[in-house]
Amino acid sequence: MNRRLAVMMSGVAATALLALSPAFAQSKTEIRVIVAHYSDHTMGIFQGMESDFEAAHPDVDIKLEDVSWDNLQQRLTTDIAGGTAPDIAIIGTRWLLDYAANDIAEPIDEYMTPEFKAKFIEAFLEPSVIDGVTYGLPIAASARAMYYNKDLLANAGFNEPPKTWDEVVKAAQAVKDKGEGAYGFGMQGKEIETDIYWYYALWTHGGELVQDGKSGIDSEAGVKAATLYKSMIDQGLTQPSPTGSNRQDMESLFKQGRAAMILSGPWLRGQIKSEAPNLNYALAPIPVGTTQATYGVTDTIMIFKSSEHKDVAWQFLEETAFSDKHRVEFSKKEGFLPVMKAEAADPTFANDEQLQAFTGMLPYAKFAPLIPNWELASDAATAALQRIYQGQAEPQAALTEAAEKINEAIQE
Amino acid sequence: MALSVDRTAHGGATRMLDRTRTLPALLLILPSLVLCLWIIGYPIYDVAHTSLHSVNRFGVVRNFAGFANFEKLFDDPIFYGSLWRTILWTVTVVGGTILLSIPIAVMLNDDFFGRGVARVIVMLPWAISLAMTAIVWRWSLNGQYGMFNATLFQLGLIDGPVEWLASFDTAFPIEIAIGILVSIPFTSTVLLGGLSSIPADVYEAATIDGATGWQRFRYMTLPLMKPFLQIAIVLNVINVFNSFPIIWVLTQGEPANSTDILVTYLYKLAFRYGRLDTAAAMSLIMFAILLLFTAAYIALAARSTEREA
Repeated sequence: MNRRLAVMMSGVAATALLALSPAFAQSKTEIRVIVAHYSDHTMGIFQGMESDFEAAHPDVDIKLEDVSWDNLQQRLTTDIAGGTAPDIAIIGTRWLLDYAANDIAEPIDEYMTPEFKAKFIEAFLEPSVIDGVTYGLPIAASARAMYYNKDLLANAGFNEPPKTWDEVVKAAQAVKDKGEGAYGFGMQGKEIETDIYWYYALWTHGGELVQDGKSGIDSEAGVKAATLYKSMIDQGLTQPSPTGSNRQDMESLFKQGRAAMILSGPWLRGQIKSEAPNLNYALAPIPVGTTQATYGVTDTIMIFKSSEHKDVAWQFLEETAFSDKHRVEFSKKEGFLPVMKAEAADPTFANDEQLQAFTGMLPYAKFAPLIPNWELASDAATAALQRIYQGQAEPQAALTEAAEKINEAIQE
Repeated sequence: MALSVDRTAHGGATRMLDRTRTLPALLLILPSLVLCLWIIGYPIYDVAHTSLHSVNRFGVVRNFAGFANFEKLFDDPIFYGSLWRTILWTVTVVGGTILLSIPIAVMLNDDFFGRGVARVIVMLPWAISLAMTAIVWRWSLNGQYGMFNATLFQLGLIDGPVEWLASFDTAFPIEIAIGILVSIPFTSTVLLGGLSSIPADVYEAATIDGATGWQRFRYMTLPLMKPFLQIAIVLNVINVFNSFPIIWVLTQGEPANSTDILVTYLYKLAFRYGRLDTAAAMSLIMFAILLLFTAAYIALAARSTEREA
């Protein structure tokens, strides 16, 4: 008796579910968002946005997907090729040109009111503009600065951070001569951003990545920059064999108090806070050769042209993702720079002296040029630098060869 | 005479039986045959199609390109470098694996106290994923805080940090050594299987006739193991030729592409540079190379069964 009742009950329940679920699915607008994994906080922040937006718009279902940066480009291209592109995704701004040229990114100028546009810090909106058309909003921004170990430099007789590359060489030499086993200057020579680590020197010697549609890495400034780094390696002012150190390896040296100076971004502050809270360090601008420069990076959040609900997707961005509340939370937890004026005015950022070391450099920040085949150009430069650092090639020869390869890639 | 007549009659009966059964049998396996052909054939068709067209990062096929993608590859010095290193990598890893696996298999085949445990220890690394093994090695080999340098330092063999993965000269041999290490479990299992199929009384007879240990190994064990060695070599070649995780995790083909092999460069072409068309051309070339090996495998297998029969 009981069993028959149970069967009947479950039958009724199943019928009810069958009847109800398609109705639910049809009435809700689904927005798929691919979230790049910045840190373990990222999904939490976006889940907050999701619940806020869904509370205000009960007919919308935001679907978040967490994808690591290593897999992001591959994942998105596969999705696009397979016709299952999401509605919204975070991408590296340096990829945007490919997305715009292939008609995948939706231009957002029509959606953006002048008031909304005015809320952004102009410099960060700019990188997502191609030929006067805006293809996305800056979701994250960072600039790079020099981290220096106050104790190591003070012991070596430097109470002020070096301002020029000449002073960096002198200070690094002094740290080495002190013989405490610490390296003067951390040098990156392996994996992602090896080229960027050298672009700092290229830019501050007056060079450009792209000049008149051609690679500028083999310019006089480029050769000077490569010669400078190579001579520092040869004199033992950096850690030995830098082609074995990727960014994390080099940052670990700094966190352990074994490198006096390194160039890095705002994320390192957060890591030092949790991993090496007693490290006595400070921030200074990127050293100067002939001019001041730093690397400015933005990531873009974009809407896909293939999306069936572009209006709702935009609404999600404007109302929630770029609301003051969520912006402050995002930049604070992830350790990025504010991209909106309201964020910058928030006490968390306005009273943060260290952060001002980064924001102070924004006026002369260089952003990655919007060229096709950026990754290929980046790898070509990295390979040339690795040959120079290992002493397998002279700076001029290696850089000229890489520049020719890059020129081919740009002109494609 | 009678025998031969008998055989023909028997053969005729089989053929009769065949004819009535072939059609239904074919019909029965047809669905799986079609599925197999489709699963194997379609990707090959797709890659071939891609390799002859200009295809953008997002897989949109644009125009017919003829052999332009192959030409691009043949103009690329990194392709030749990777090809040469792939051969070096495959030959040394497979060669080293076989050379080390034979004595290991022979030892494990002998009866000794704790043989079961020893076998488990040799097989155990097989259970760990390649990527994980590679990551552990990468940590161990770290120049500044790796276990490897710490040990060498304490033994007084080095007096400062050595970055093992910083140049081809040290990185590639280390990658080969790790490649050998992870291939040993599979290979020695195959060889051990071969050894245990050799009856022990053959050895007893040889020992009574005065054969030394080396003679028994050289003139009995090795020839009897030949089919197993051939299988181990060919399967390892296919496996090692396509092996991606060790090199990718340890060096990503760096510094300056000096540790790239075909499969790591293929990954960069396809997923980093978005050159799906050139990458397709390259995988076709790799497919052709492996096809040669597979043909060799089938020929070897056919020859050894023929000899056994």
